[in-house]
Amino acid sequence: MKLIENIPDRKLLLFKSCMVSHEYPGVESATRYVFDRLGIDYLVNDEQSCCTGIGHYTDLFEGLTTAAIAARNFAVARRCGYPNITCLCSTCYAVNKEACELLNTNDEVRDKVNSVFREQGLDDLVYEKGDMNPRTNFYHAVEILLSKADRIREEKQLDFAGTRAAAHHACHYYKVKYLDVVGNPENPQLIDTIAAACGAFPVRWYEDRTLTCGMGFSQLHLNKNTSLQVTKTKLDSLQRAGVELMLHMCPNCHIQYDRYQPVIEREFGVEYDMVHMNIAQFVALSMGADPYKVCGFQTHSVPLEGFLEKAGII
Amino acid sequence: MSLCCKSLQGTVLYGIFTSSILATLKYESRADSKLMRASPEKTAVFICHCSGNISEHVDISAVKKTLKSEGISVFDYEYLCSSQGQALIKGKISEEGLDGIVIGSCTPSKHGTLFKKCIQETGLNRAMLEIANLREQCAWVHPEKAEATEKAISLLRGKLRRLQNVEPLEEIKVDIAPQALVIGGGISGITAALNLADNGISTFLVEKDSSIGGQMAKIGKIFSPDKLAEECAMCSLSPLMNEVAAHPKITLLTWTEVERVNGSAGNFRVLLKKKPRYVRDNCTACGRCTRVCPVVVENEFNCGHKDKKAISLRFSQSVPKVYCIDPEHCLQLNGEACDGEACGKCAEACRSGAIDFGQQDEFFEINVGAIVVATGFSEYDASQKPQYGYGIFSNVLTQMELARVLGINGPTKGELLRPSDSGRLSDADRSGASASGASVSGSSVSCTSVSGACVNQNDNLPAAGVPKRIVMIQCVGSRDEKAGGSPYCSRYCCMAALKHASLITKKHPDTEITICYIDMRAFGFYENYYRAVQDMGVSFVRGRPAEVVEKPDKSLVVRVEDTLNQKRLELPADLVVLSAAMLPSPGTREIAGVLNLSQDENGFVKERHSKLKPVDSSVDGIFVCGTAQGPKDITDAIAQAGLAAVRARAFITDSPKILENELAAINQLLCTRCGVCLDCPFEALSFSESGRVVVDPLICTGCGYCTRHCETGAIQVAGFTKTQLKAEIEGVLEEGDLLSFVNSGISALTCDNIGNSVLNYPSSVKLVRVPTGLVVDRDLLLHAFRHGAASVLFVEDPPDNPKAEIIYPLVASHFEKLKEELGADGSRLHFKKAYVPNTKGLAGTFTTLSREGEMIK
Repeated sequence: MKLIENIPDRKLLLFKSCMVSHEYPGVESATRYVFDRLGIDYLVNDEQSCCTGIGHYTDLFEGLTTAAIAARNFAVARRCGYPNITCLCSTCYAVNKEACELLNTNDEVRDKVNSVFREQGLDDLVYEKGDMNPRTNFYHAVEILLSKADRIREEKQLDFAGTRAAAHHACHYYKVKYLDVVGNPENPQLIDTIAAACGAFPVRWYEDRTLTCGMGFSQLHLNKNTSLQVTKTKLDSLQRAGVELMLHMCPNCHIQYDRYQPVIEREFGVEYDMVHMNIAQFVALSMGADPYKVCGFQTHSVPLEGFLEKAGII
Repeated sequence: MSLCCKSLQGTVLYGIFTSSILATLKYESRADSKLMRASPEKTAVFICHCSGNISEHVDISAVKKTLKSEGISVFDYEYLCSSQGQALIKGKISEEGLDGIVIGSCTPSKHGTLFKKCIQETGLNRAMLEIANLREQCAWVHPEKAEATEKAISLLRGKLRRLQNVEPLEEIKVDIAPQALVIGGGISGITAALNLADNGISTFLVEKDSSIGGQMAKIGKIFSPDKLAEECAMCSLSPLMNEVAAHPKITLLTWTEVERVNGSAGNFRVLLKKKPRYVRDNCTACGRCTRVCPVVVENEFNCGHKDKKAISLRFSQSVPKVYCIDPEHCLQLNGEACDGEACGKCAEACRSGAIDFGQQDEFFEINVGAIVVATGFSEYDASQKPQYGYGIFSNVLTQMELARVLGINGPTKGELLRPSDSGRLSDADRSGASASGASVSGSSVSCTSVSGACVNQNDNLPAAGVPKRIVMIQCVGSRDEKAGGSPYCSRYCCMAALKHASLITKKHPDTEITICYIDMRAFGFYENYYRAVQDMGVSFVRGRPAEVVEKPDKSLVVRVEDTLNQKRLELPADLVVLSAAMLPSPGTREIAGVLNLSQDENGFVKERHSKLKPVDSSVDGIFVCGTAQGPKDITDAIAQAGLAAVRARAFITDSPKILENELAAINQLLCTRCGVCLDCPFEALSFSESGRVVVDPLICTGCGYCTRHCETGAIQVAGFTKTQLKAEIEGVLEEGDLLSFVNSGISALTCDNIGNSVLNYPSSVKLVRVPTGLVVDRDLLLHAFRHGAASVLFVEDPPDNPKAEIIYPLVASHFEKLKEELGADGSRLHFKKAYVPNTKGLAGTFTTLSREGEMIK
C-alpha cells in the first residue's frame, strides 16, 4: 500500500496525456493552476511522448513497442532531473508503472529495447535495471492533490458546501496495480477526501461504485451497446443516489460519461441530472480559477452552466 | 585452560519476594573474572547441513578445506540439533579436549539454548560456544553458491576470532515465584487457569470485562468434530466458569486490567488496576436494582441492542454473579437528575446494601513466576468492505452477530428475525430487558427447556419476520491480500457458517440458505458435518461476491460469479451473513506491547516455534494460547490452553532458574566508582553499602547504555564486550562490506525473517548482533572502517513496547552523536528501524546500501 506521507511534492514530471490534451485540455491547465498555488515543484517536458496506452489497448502497439517508448520517456524524465512521473491519466499511470516493472525484471525485454536504441544511435535512452523504481517514481496527480488536502481546505476561496458529489475512481489506477494504491483498493477514497476538503458532501458509497466506466477502449466502438449499457447502469445508480456532480481522475472515464451521457439519454430514452468534471478542475474552481480560461469547461458535452450558476460562479 | 574455564563457572543465587534481600545481594560479578582465550588448536567448528537447507547453498567441503588450512578442526553433520549431532559435539569435546566451539547452523534463536545446554553438559562455560547463523543470514539469502560459501567462511571466522577474546559468563540463578497469572477469561484462559490450579499452582485469572466467559459465552450453539448435533455452548462453559469461581487455588479478578509488568522470567511484578464496579461483593444478584434502574443502554454483549440497564450483569450466567454499574450512563455517577432529584434508585432497592457509589480505581501488585496470555480475538470490522453493505444496510450481519441472534439469551431470545423488521425486534428488545432480571431471580436457565419453548414460540409466529432466503459470504477479511484484509485463513468460519446453516434449516426448513465460498475448509472429522449440511439442502456457490445491493423493501441482492460454471448470479436474500475474519483483539495487541512479546505480521502473539514450542512466547516465562496466538476454533483453543498450563507449571516448578539474558557486568578491578553509569534508564545500577557499583539482575535489560561513558571500560554487557565485538568485526569484514549492528530483539528476528521469506541481499552485507546500538562506540566504528567497512548500518527495534520506548530514543540520539563525532565519515553511518512485517524493506535497505558501498570500493 502506498502511504500518503510518502507522496512527494518535488521533482514531479507532470506527464502529458493525449486524451487530456485533445479532449479536455482544461484538466491539465487546472492541475497546473492548483500545483502552482500549492507550491509544488513540477515540470512539463515537451520532449515527452504519448505512453501508447490508447494504441496498446486497441491492439495497435504490442508490448515491446510500449516498453521501448516508456524507456524513452523515462530517459526524458531522468535527464531533466524530474524523475517522479506524475500522470493526469490513469492509463498513462498504469502503462508507465507496468513498463518500468517489466524493464526491471525481464532481462530479455530490456536487452531487446536497449539493442534497438543502440542500433539507432540513441545510446542516451538505454535503460539499466533499477534506473526507475516502479513503486516510488510513479504517481497520479490525484495522489499529489490528496497529500495536500489540508492545504486545499485552507486555500479554498469557494465552498461547495452541500454539493452531493460522487467519485469515480479509475480502474487503471486502483485495479491494475491494486497492491500499490493509496488506501483500500476495494474502497478508494482519494477523490472523496479531496472533494470533502473543498466542502462538498461526498456520497461515499453507492450501488455499483466499483463498476468500470464501460469504455473498455476498443469495446466502445466494437461492442457499443454493451459498453453504453455498463455506463448506463452506473448512471442509473448515481441518479438514484441523488448525485449532482460526478468527479473523475481519468480522461477515458471522463469521455465515456461526459461525451456519452447525452447519447445514452437519447438512445435509451432516459434523463440524468448529473454533470461531470475532473477532480483537479473541481479543486481549481474552489481555489478561484476561471471556469473557462483555466478549467476549460467549454470543451465539455454535458453543459456545466447550471451547476456553475447554482454555485454562484457565473 | 579448559580446567580453568570450568572452575570459573560461578553461580550467584537470588532470593525473591523480599526486595531487602535483593538489595543486599546485588550483582557484583566479574571482580575475579579473567580474560579467557580459546586457543585455536583447542577450538573446533561444527557445521550443520540442516538437511540441505544449508548444504545445498553453501559448499561445505570448501569451507572445511579453507578453515582446515588455517589449522582449525572442522566437523559437519546432517542435523546437529539431533541427539546424534549433539553426541558428536560432546564426543569431540572430550576426545580432543576442546575448549571452544563454533557451530554453523540455523539462527541461534532457534537452537541456541539447546546447543548451550549441550556444551554445558561437558563442563564448558556457555561463553565458549559461538553460533554462526549460516541459514537465515547466509544460505537462504544468497542464491549464488560461491557467494554464500565465501560469506559462511567469514561468519565462521568472525565467531572464531570472538572466541579468542571471550570471558566466562556468570550463571545468575533466581528463585521463581510459585504463582501464575492468566490474562483473559475466555475459554482459553479459563482452561489454562483450571489446569494450573488443578496441578497445584496458585493462579490469578484477570479479565477486563465484568464476567469471565469471553466470546464463547456469546455463541448459542457450538460445533464438534465428532457429532452432527450442535451442543449448547453455555452448558459446556457455565460449569467451568463456576469451577473457576469456586476453586481454592484460583483468585478471580474481573473488571481488572494489567497496567504494567516489571521484572523478568520467574519474577514478574504485575501492576493491576481493578476498576470500580460500584457494587460490593455481597451482591446477591437478586436483580431488584436492574428492575428499578431508569437507564436503558446499548448492550455490547448483545451486538449493541438496547436491552440492558445501566446496572446489570454481563449476561445471566455471569461469573462472578455481582452486578456492575456502567459509569458512562449511570445518572447518579454523572450527577444527572431523575424525576427532578438525584437517582440512586438501585441503592434504595438493594436489600444487602451492596451499592457503593464511592468506589475508586484500585491498584495493586502481584508477583508471579509465569504468565499465560489468553487475550483472544475480535471480529474483523466488516464495514471496511462497503461493497457488502455492513453498517449501511440493516439486514447484513456478521456470523458472530448471527450466533448471538440464535442464542436463547440473545436480543430476540433465539428467534431468527430480519433486523430491519425493527418493530418486532424492538419489542423483543424490551421484553429481553425485563426478562433478564426475571431469569436471574428465578432458577438457573436450563437450555433444553428454553430451546423447547423457542420452538413452540416459533410455531405461533407469523412468518413475516423470519428471513426466507439467507446468503452467507465466506472469507470477509480473510484470505484477502488487499489492503484492509488479512492474508490468512481464519479457520473457524466455514464451520460456523455450516453450523448456523444447519441450526436454521432445522428450525425453519422453508428458509433457503446459500453459502458463497472460496474453498470450504471442513478439516479432519468436520468433513462428516459438511456432508450432513449438504444433505440438508443448503446450497453452495463457489465465488467471492462482488457486491450486495439493497432494494427499497430492505431485501438484498448478492451479486456473485459462480466460478464453477462461470455464470453471473444475482442471489436474492432477506438476510446476508458475513463470515468476518478473526483478528487479534485490541487486548492482545496491547498486552503484547506491555509484555514486550514478539507478534506476527498480523498482530497475533508469535510462538517461539510452531511445532517445537507452540505455546512459548518470545519472552521466557510467558506463554500464549487460544486465539491470542492465531485463529482457531474452541476445540483447538482448549487443547492449546492445556499445553500452555503445563508449560507454565513446568517453568514455575523448575526453580531456581538460570537467567539467560546477558546483563551489564562490572569489573570491580577497573571500576573507579565515578558513578557516571548510574544514569541507567531502568535504574538497575546503584552503589552498594560497601561503595561498589552493583547491578540488579532482575531489572537490567542489558541494553548497554551504561557502557557509553565508562572511561576505563569497567562496565560492559557480558558476552558483548568491546574486545569481543572488535574481534568479530575483524573476522567477518572484507573490503567494501556493509557492516550492520543488529539489535538482538525484534531486529534480529526481522533479519532472520528475510531468510524465511525467500528474499535476497548481497553477501557483502555482514550482520553483527548487539544487545542494542548503544554498545557501539566511536572506537568500534573506526575499527570497522579500518577493517574494510564501506558503511555501517544500525538496525534498531522500533519504540513499540515499553522497553523499546525507553531504549529507542537513546539509540537514536546516540547515533546522531556518533555521526557528528565522525565528521566526514559520518555520512557512512545509517540507521533503520526494523518492523517484523517489513522484511522486504529491510532487505531493500541492505541491498541499496551495499551497492553504494561497492561504488566507493
